[in-house]
Amino acid sequence: MSDGPLIVQSDKTLLLEVDHPRAGECRKAIAPFAELERAPEHVHTYRVTPLALWNARAAGHDAEQVVDALIGFSRYPVPHALLVDVAETMARYGRLRLEKHPVHGLVLTTSDRAVLEEVLRSKKIQPLVGDRLGADSVAVHPSERGNIKQTLLKLGWPAEDLAGYVDGEHHPIDLREDGWELRPYQKEAADAFWHGGSGVVVLPCGAGKTIVGAAAMAHARATTLILVTNTVSAHQWKQELLRRTSLTEDEIGEYTGTKKEIRPVTIATYQVMTTRRQGTYRHLELFDARDWGLVVYDEVHLLPAPIFRMTADLQARRRLGLTATLVREDGREGDVFSLIGPKRYDAPWKEMENQGYIAPAECVEVRVTLRDDERLAYAMAESDERYRFCSTTPAKIRVTEALVRRHEGEQVLVIGQYIDQLDELGEHLDAPVIKGETKVKERERLFQAFRDKEIQVLVVSKVANFSIDLPEAAVAIQVSGTFGSRQEEAQRLGRVLRPKADGGGALFYSVVSRDTVDQEFAAHRQRFLAEQGYAYHIIDADDVGQEDPAR
Amino acid sequence: METMTGTDFSEWLRGRSDEHLRALVTARPELVTPVPAHLDGLAARACSPSALGRALDRLDRFQLAVLETLALREGPSSRAALLSMIVRAAPGTAAEEETGAALDAALDTLVTRGLVYGPPDALLPAPGVPAALEPPAALGPPAAEVFRHHPPERLDVLLRDIDPAYDGGGQADAGRPARQRLAALLSDPATVARLLEEVSPQARAALDELVWGPPSGRLPSARREVDTATAQSPIEQLLARGLLGATGEESVALPREVALVLRGGRVHRDLSPGPPALDGPVRDQELADRTAAGQAFMFVRMVEELCELWSVDPPGVLRAGGLSVRDLRRAAQLLDLPEWAAGLVAEVAHAAGLVAAGEGEWLPTGGYDGWRIKATEDRWAVLAAAWAAMDRAPGLIGERDDRDRPLNALHPDLRRSGAAQTRARTLAVLEAAPPGLAPTPESVLARLAWEQPRRRSAPREPLVRFALREAEHIGVTGLGVPAAHGRAAARGDGRAAADLLAPLLPQAVDHVLLQADLTAVAPGPLTTDLGRRLALTADVESKGGATVYRFSEQSVRRALDAGHSAGDLLAMLERHSATPVPQPLAYLVTDVARRHGRIRVGVASSYVRCDDPALLDEVLADKRAHLLRLRRLAPTVLASKTSRAALVDTLRAMGYAPVAESLEGDVVVARADARRTEGPPAARAPANPGLGPEAAAGAVRAMRAGDSAHRSRRPPAETPEGQVPRSPSTATISALEEAIRQGSRVWIGYTDSQGHATSRILEPARMEGGYLTAYDETRATVHRFVLSRITGVAGYDSERSETPGERAAGVD
Repeated sequence: MSDGPLIVQSDKTLLLEVDHPRAGECRKAIAPFAELERAPEHVHTYRVTPLALWNARAAGHDAEQVVDALIGFSRYPVPHALLVDVAETMARYGRLRLEKHPVHGLVLTTSDRAVLEEVLRSKKIQPLVGDRLGADSVAVHPSERGNIKQTLLKLGWPAEDLAGYVDGEHHPIDLREDGWELRPYQKEAADAFWHGGSGVVVLPCGAGKTIVGAAAMAHARATTLILVTNTVSAHQWKQELLRRTSLTEDEIGEYTGTKKEIRPVTIATYQVMTTRRQGTYRHLELFDARDWGLVVYDEVHLLPAPIFRMTADLQARRRLGLTATLVREDGREGDVFSLIGPKRYDAPWKEMENQGYIAPAECVEVRVTLRDDERLAYAMAESDERYRFCSTTPAKIRVTEALVRRHEGEQVLVIGQYIDQLDELGEHLDAPVIKGETKVKERERLFQAFRDKEIQVLVVSKVANFSIDLPEAAVAIQVSGTFGSRQEEAQRLGRVLRPKADGGGALFYSVVSRDTVDQEFAAHRQRFLAEQGYAYHIIDADDVGQEDPAR
Repeated sequence: METMTGTDFSEWLRGRSDEHLRALVTARPELVTPVPAHLDGLAARACSPSALGRALDRLDRFQLAVLETLALREGPSSRAALLSMIVRAAPGTAAEEETGAALDAALDTLVTRGLVYGPPDALLPAPGVPAALEPPAALGPPAAEVFRHHPPERLDVLLRDIDPAYDGGGQADAGRPARQRLAALLSDPATVARLLEEVSPQARAALDELVWGPPSGRLPSARREVDTATAQSPIEQLLARGLLGATGEESVALPREVALVLRGGRVHRDLSPGPPALDGPVRDQELADRTAAGQAFMFVRMVEELCELWSVDPPGVLRAGGLSVRDLRRAAQLLDLPEWAAGLVAEVAHAAGLVAAGEGEWLPTGGYDGWRIKATEDRWAVLAAAWAAMDRAPGLIGERDDRDRPLNALHPDLRRSGAAQTRARTLAVLEAAPPGLAPTPESVLARLAWEQPRRRSAPREPLVRFALREAEHIGVTGLGVPAAHGRAAARGDGRAAADLLAPLLPQAVDHVLLQADLTAVAPGPLTTDLGRRLALTADVESKGGATVYRFSEQSVRRALDAGHSAGDLLAMLERHSATPVPQPLAYLVTDVARRHGRIRVGVASSYVRCDDPALLDEVLADKRAHLLRLRRLAPTVLASKTSRAALVDTLRAMGYAPVAESLEGDVVVARADARRTEGPPAARAPANPGLGPEAAAGAVRAMRAGDSAHRSRRPPAETPEGQVPRSPSTATISALEEAIRQGSRVWIGYTDSQGHATSRILEPARMEGGYLTAYDETRATVHRFVLSRITGVAGYDSERSETPGERAAGVD
């Protein structure tokens, strides 16, 4: 019996005991082919998925290395079926290759004729390919490069894309490391992306994903299209690029609802790109407006479906996806893999925290109790109204006030879902409210005032879920959310994770109504963070006044 | 060979020692079922085609080759002559001494089994063997056979062409002598060489094709009137010289004599005295053992899980028997296995008697409860043994039968007569594999084909492949390498297998790692008690070497429902956790407990409602109401567990005037949660219809005894002294035991089924289950006697010392 740190389960999960002396070594060995699924305090769970195995193959690992790593670190015998499965799955990758062809442009070739025959019989593949060029190859319409990759992945025969990338229009971009420097993991992430060609970088909120984007641009030294979630975020990208790189104001264009500038580096919002008029996407030509050398997708977990379709046509260009949580509630992680690219870099949140790159955060769930009359009303509410009813109970307003009082002098964000509730909170707390209808200018003024500590408390709706850079926010109070969304919870925590000037920690309160669906959703929302090692401490609303909740 | 008669063989057999005869009947048990009356009978049976067929089937390729070589020689052969032929047939494969040793071993086996007899310098195949071997060594028929249907004129022409000394036979009976002459000519190397010189190279090439078999070919209008002058094609040149002969309208064959000449004095082309080596990748034996142990652990758990599933939710037995495809799929899903593997789990559980059909459903048996409490290694040994002896082919599940119907798991149609034997032989090959070697299926098949070349391999191949696949799944092999415990199991040594397996199995742990994301990880199999409690309190999320549990509101509530308090649960978690209980988990437990049981639900069959509480007080106070088991739920309501009718009747009898109220709501009685069936225990095929040493000895004694009677042609013995022996029953038993041990004869008094007192002279063979099996010399047959009807025993030893067997033993 060996005493390895790893336990290989028959359902293809790997349990890594983190306190084991060989845990670090083992983590390095299994990271290339297993997805980190959960990282709570004692035992981390990885999962060996076909996607992860193909990723590993794409990165040059073979089945033998995978099997050796599993057997070498495993405490118990590794199930034979799993080893067989690993070998079989990995052998599927690369049987089909997409290659450049001097005459036909793009061809799909194979080293295993039976596989080619099998996929060509598929009705989904037929419209994507052209003439048969021989027993082992078939022409592919260049515009279908993304689609065919996506479809082949679904068929279980992922194609190795050897067709390469276009360089795009050259444009000098350099990092300007004056008074700051690229953190090691940011450099690793940018390098990993560049060597892989295309792909996704996963870093916690506040860990500086924008800088990874900038570093990637400095690698590419080409015109770049950046797609972001909203206008405020677009402005932040622009500011950050001006500060970190050699780019000047004139070289960066904004392509938003109000401005339509196309410059060597253009920042567009998903919203503009997906605006339709008379049934057509009006701004699609932006993708062809220049010979882009790099396309950056910010918050790739939110990538809307139309962008997926557009991205399918961009397979010849380098693509970088950035996200904190590659958890899609719609389960389209596979599309991200085939269209943007495989995950190139990943860092566990707690590890970043230990290294001081993000602020140490404490999560507290505050439970409030509905009054008896509220409970009766709750019991009678229609099922689609129940969540709204219990998550906007007046009890939450009271406890939020108490929490804000407790943290007087600190920068506090109050985040919620329902506008009425937020307005009411704004009134009670005497704080400004930012919501969907707030003008971009006004939003930016308020954010700036908050950063400058002119305003201590800010009430925000879900418009501030992502990409809003508020370094000094130390306390976030969540009063309601989008049902059980795990990534929303993580993103909201991310608002307070920027390292603080005083090196202090952050506090994240989630106010939840006891014994209601609110509590159930909260449990689901917290799963991602709990699995990243953020242990929620539960306190009772009645205790908020008396003792130090952050104890 | 014509000179060799059955009598020679029977005399030879008679001259063998008892020990030799025991070895013979042990190796060929079918010869003594039933026991022949005498040795002539044994000899006749041993030479019968069916018995010979079975004996030949058991020979390996080398033994068979030795026997074929011997059978092809004229008259008795010496060992040296055989050796020179065998050595020629095995060029370069082994040194001569080695081949000699192998030949001796093979001859020993052949003599022991009565296939070859005679002294070492004059060995002969047993009568019937040459015929049973036909055609030996892929040779064509002898010339006499090939040219049997050629008219005398053709033979005449043929002989004139090829035999310079031929002067033309007499016309009357030319056929037979001409054929013999032809055969003699074709056996002569010089003649054959001369004839070969005459034909074209193409003709020689055609002949070479046929030399090592198959010895015949198709040829349109094979019966051609050709002679050396008119022969055109290469084939005609051969036909004209008798090097080929037409055996039918469209077929020609190479006469055996010609082939033997062309084979250059060899009978076989590449004969190897040893079996072909197994090949395959070599792996670390220790790693293989560990992997196999892991698989063994998994397999045991799979069986347990299946039985647990079926004890609460048993699948139905199909009308034709077996398990439906849907139920198998469900099991496969639950066990997270492919369907064939789930089918194997079900089949092995069935073969081990852990599940059986009862009341139209597949249910665990009482045997399962006994199996479940054993140690894992012992449980595995039981399963491995059941699998090895199973006369079924689970690998066929999901395939279609002759009538294109799917074959279902546990269905009677999965029986395959050769399954157990093929599996046993496959396991024997694995057992003998060198350490660390993972034999490829092809090399295992090649080895089996060498070991039993006469068995048809076509139906065997899938069974061998199934056996190898199943061996891996059950944990007999790991990474394809036979594991130490697997080898022990293959030898049938369950105890050793369990002992070897035990240290490789994960040790039970008594602690878990509790985490703030409401999971608990048990880093190994849990002790039974802790495992049961955790399974009650949390849901299993992932299984394998470790188990991951998740706590949820529902799971905690389940534990509370089972009667645990929040305090119990937290104390249990604290006791078995290496780290403090995470606050969210503690909060979850107390939070669920806080709400648990605030609403109470009970079962009542009927109720009594009355607006006047005082009246209900009165009812409750009445002693006669005790039987109604009334309980006051509220001042104006009583609940009762008796039926409404009984309640009404009793209240009336007590002098009240109740009125029945209609109400909805039936009492739902939960089904008993774990069901069992006795079921018929799964039939187990006898693993090997072999003969124990006792039985063999008994059979030999019986035959010897019969033989002496047979030879002396003695009339049935009368009572020696005219009266029936009598002795007390304990003395009878001990006297019979003694007689069995010594192989001596006894004289018994016996009350026959009509109640008549008789006496017999017996040679007792064995005693079991209230019966004595013995050779009845009086009636010259083996008979079973009811012990209780034996009235007495007396010694009868007059001729014992003169049995031929004893004499023979003295000579040897």
